[in-house]
Amino acid sequence: LQLPLSLLRTAQNHPMLVELKNGETYNGHLQSCDTWMNIHLRDVIFTSKDGERFFKMPEVYVRGSTIKYLRIPETVVDMVKNEVQEVRRHQKDMHKQKKSYGGPGRGGQSNRGGRGGGNAGRGGGSGRGGHTNNK
Amino acid sequence: EMVNEKDDSQRKKKESIVDLSKFLDKKVRVKFQGGREATGVLKGYDQLLNLVLDGAVEHLRDAEDPTIIGDETRNLGLIVARGTAITVVAPSDGMEQIPNPFQNAEE
Repeated sequence: LQLPLSLLRTAQNHPMLVELKNGETYNGHLQSCDTWMNIHLRDVIFTSKDGERFFKMPEVYVRGSTIKYLRIPETVVDMVKNEVQEVRRHQKDMHKQKKSYGGPGRGGQSNRGGRGGGNAGRGGGSGRGGHTNNK
Repeated sequence: EMVNEKDDSQRKKKESIVDLSKFLDKKVRVKFQGGREATGVLKGYDQLLNLVLDGAVEHLRDAEDPTIIGDETRNLGLIVARGTAITVVAPSDGMEQIPNPFQNAEE
């Protein structure tokens, strides 16, 4: 499942075509984009709505709300898949790290309640041997 | 001001994606919702893309077909262009007309 904006973000530095709601088209390299789909293109060719006039401009800023659609090179679509996987993997790693600490908020080390904290309950050796026996 | 008050999706980014400071005191071409177009010297701007344009000129369109930008203009002087209505911003210098750059014929 891929989000349109992540596709757009992956497409940074790639050429693309943008058609606006008013029919004008801009061909250029994506310099940057944001959560509102506003985009900044570099080395742009602007084609008028009637397809008759062409202008070259070094850059343009286009409001997301005025975009009808974007055409992106197919190669970018493949790149997105990898990027999304990496982001997900990264998030999973971060998540794993948090769990192993046993929730520092609950006083991870001296875990008498024996409920929370991954290590204390299940870790066995390290959990019990570590603190003094307060029985 | 760039203050991290709240997160923006996953990243903390307070700046707009384009740095308008490089256009200050330069002529820019601005298009608006509804099809109007103007050019003027950018004197100021803000996060919301409100712009201050000096010596602004509106490029009027054909009475017959409002999609065609004709040669007529009207002077607006010093204006504030409302960011909410702006659709496109581009530097006016460096913009040149070219013949059809695409190999295949346009439809």
